[in-house]
Amino acid sequence: MKNGKFLIAPLLLWLGIFFAIPLLIVVVVSFAGRTPYGQVIFNWTLENYVRFFEPLYLSIFADTLWVAVLTTVFTIILGYPLAYYIAQLPKKWQQPGLILVMIPFWINFLIRSFAWVIILRSQGVLNTLLIKLGFITAPLQLLYNDTAVMVGMVYSLLPFMVLPIYVSLEQLDRRLLEAAYDLGATPFTAFRKITLPLTLSGISEGTILVFISSLGMFIVPEIMGGAKAALVGNLIQNQFLSARNWPFGSALSIVLAILSLVLITVYYKALAAGKGGGKDA
Amino acid sequence: MKKLFILLSALLVLAVAGCGGGDSKQSSSGGEPQVLNLYSWADNFDPAVIEKFEKTYNCRVNYDVFANNEELLAKIQAGGALYDVIQPSDYMVTTMRKLDLLEELDKKALPNTQNLVADLRSPSFDPESKHSVVYAWGITGIIYNKKYVKEVPTDWSALWKPEYRGRVILLNDNREVIGMALKKHGRSNNSTDPAAVKEAVDDLKQLAPHVLAFDTDTIKQKFIAEEAWIGTIWSGDASFVYKENKDVAFLVPKEGTTIWADTLAIPKGAKHKELAHKFINFLYDPKISAQNYEYIGYSDPNEKAVPYHSKEYNDDPILKVGAAAIASGEWLTDIGPALPMYDRYWTELKTGK
Repeated sequence: MKNGKFLIAPLLLWLGIFFAIPLLIVVVVSFAGRTPYGQVIFNWTLENYVRFFEPLYLSIFADTLWVAVLTTVFTIILGYPLAYYIAQLPKKWQQPGLILVMIPFWINFLIRSFAWVIILRSQGVLNTLLIKLGFITAPLQLLYNDTAVMVGMVYSLLPFMVLPIYVSLEQLDRRLLEAAYDLGATPFTAFRKITLPLTLSGISEGTILVFISSLGMFIVPEIMGGAKAALVGNLIQNQFLSARNWPFGSALSIVLAILSLVLITVYYKALAAGKGGGKDA
Repeated sequence: MKKLFILLSALLVLAVAGCGGGDSKQSSSGGEPQVLNLYSWADNFDPAVIEKFEKTYNCRVNYDVFANNEELLAKIQAGGALYDVIQPSDYMVTTMRKLDLLEELDKKALPNTQNLVADLRSPSFDPESKHSVVYAWGITGIIYNKKYVKEVPTDWSALWKPEYRGRVILLNDNREVIGMALKKHGRSNNSTDPAAVKEAVDDLKQLAPHVLAFDTDTIKQKFIAEEAWIGTIWSGDASFVYKENKDVAFLVPKEGTTIWADTLAIPKGAKHKELAHKFINFLYDPKISAQNYEYIGYSDPNEKAVPYHSKEYNDDPILKVGAAAIASGEWLTDIGPALPMYDRYWTELKTGK
């Protein structure tokens, strides 16, 4: 047993140095104030948290939550059929299918966002194609609006939804489906009664991953949204880089983290209640 | 709690110092006697110029880059002695002087800085150039594409014209944008008067629905690809766009505008002060500065360098417009206590609330 503790020590040290200490610093700074020139002074105040409750900032949080919910819903709608399709493929094609889903991850996220700009801008690939084919006469404004932000968010977070759903589909016991068919179930009934409930754990894991990641997103609104739609991520970035207000930025980060935790807890509770407490690990 | 924080910050400083130590060790292993630690913006020098300096003074230059002034400030406050030469922008010079983070420059060691054009020798953020010398500078103006903008804009209100709706770009910078609107109303771009700032912001709220994007980093692409028709831009970037798309033009509106500069400065406690002065002086040598600015593409602030520049550079219509407008530009200074007000208005503008 003693050896076991020894083995975990490097991991704890790693987490301590790169996770716990930075987080602690953020917590400490969030209760601090700032001088007129942006230096952090430790006068222990709740001012930063009080400021969060101003309608301006609350509405930004509400917008961000809404965008995160939409992103999650769209990734489920697109991700589930994709994962289902890959899981149905013959074994030797499944691996390549998964690799295709993951390949974009090997390319820097910033570069992928700019790739979307090249595709969607007025003289971009898509508009040029549509004009050449005679579908439209003038370029469509596809970039720098809320739809473009949504496209970028769904695109970038889709793999986080596909992978967990694929795993749950792959673990599905096919014999259950055979039994269902033997008992006269239509494919749709079999899917609704067996596949969907048994892959719910994959969907819920994907939901957590996508939802949390989209809450903190700031690059997509900046590049594909033309920096017009301010999400919480952009607001926090601004506090550090232009407003020189580290305490307020820290407080916003902490609020965002707590909000995420609360939402995850509520989500799991609801899920457990809906399933009658059954959730396989 | 406080003790804990001190302990944590000490740890952090140690970590930062550790990194810096690693750097200098690496360079001294090359057997060079002296190292100049330069902390600056990316691509702010012709690498050949830095090589020349290394050869001339038998030293090595460590070139670290930062992406914005806030990053520079944070690092200098954590342990500024790691660097010998830094490049704060105008308003950041004010801040750093207020926080006593800069060494006073020894003018006797910098004879070449006399080559600076007179208009850049006494900027309001450092009137006697005690702690900083202007290096790269530019001016904010209107860029427009002649194919779509038929009527030559003369003042800032051109941006508000309904026919350009959805084709306007504003710099993604609160001081620049609010400063522009203040200028439009005949005020200082450093105004801290709440009524004046509110008036400017209310006007901007009329403009916000017309804006295609707020952009500073990729603004050049948007004008080259003709996604945007009209907008605010820095002269150096406008010159870059013009080289790729000859349909654009640049002008400085008659109400006046914002002028900016990256400076050269020495942080308090720098270890190689003498070498730092040599470096700064070297950059203002007319021939060197001509070579340097041909590469980086900004307006050369060095009067004596003109004969050493290429004809193409000297004839650049956009750099000419910028240079002619220096006097109509007002420097941004650090507005200190008013910054939260600007930030709040900026958030309102972005979110349309």
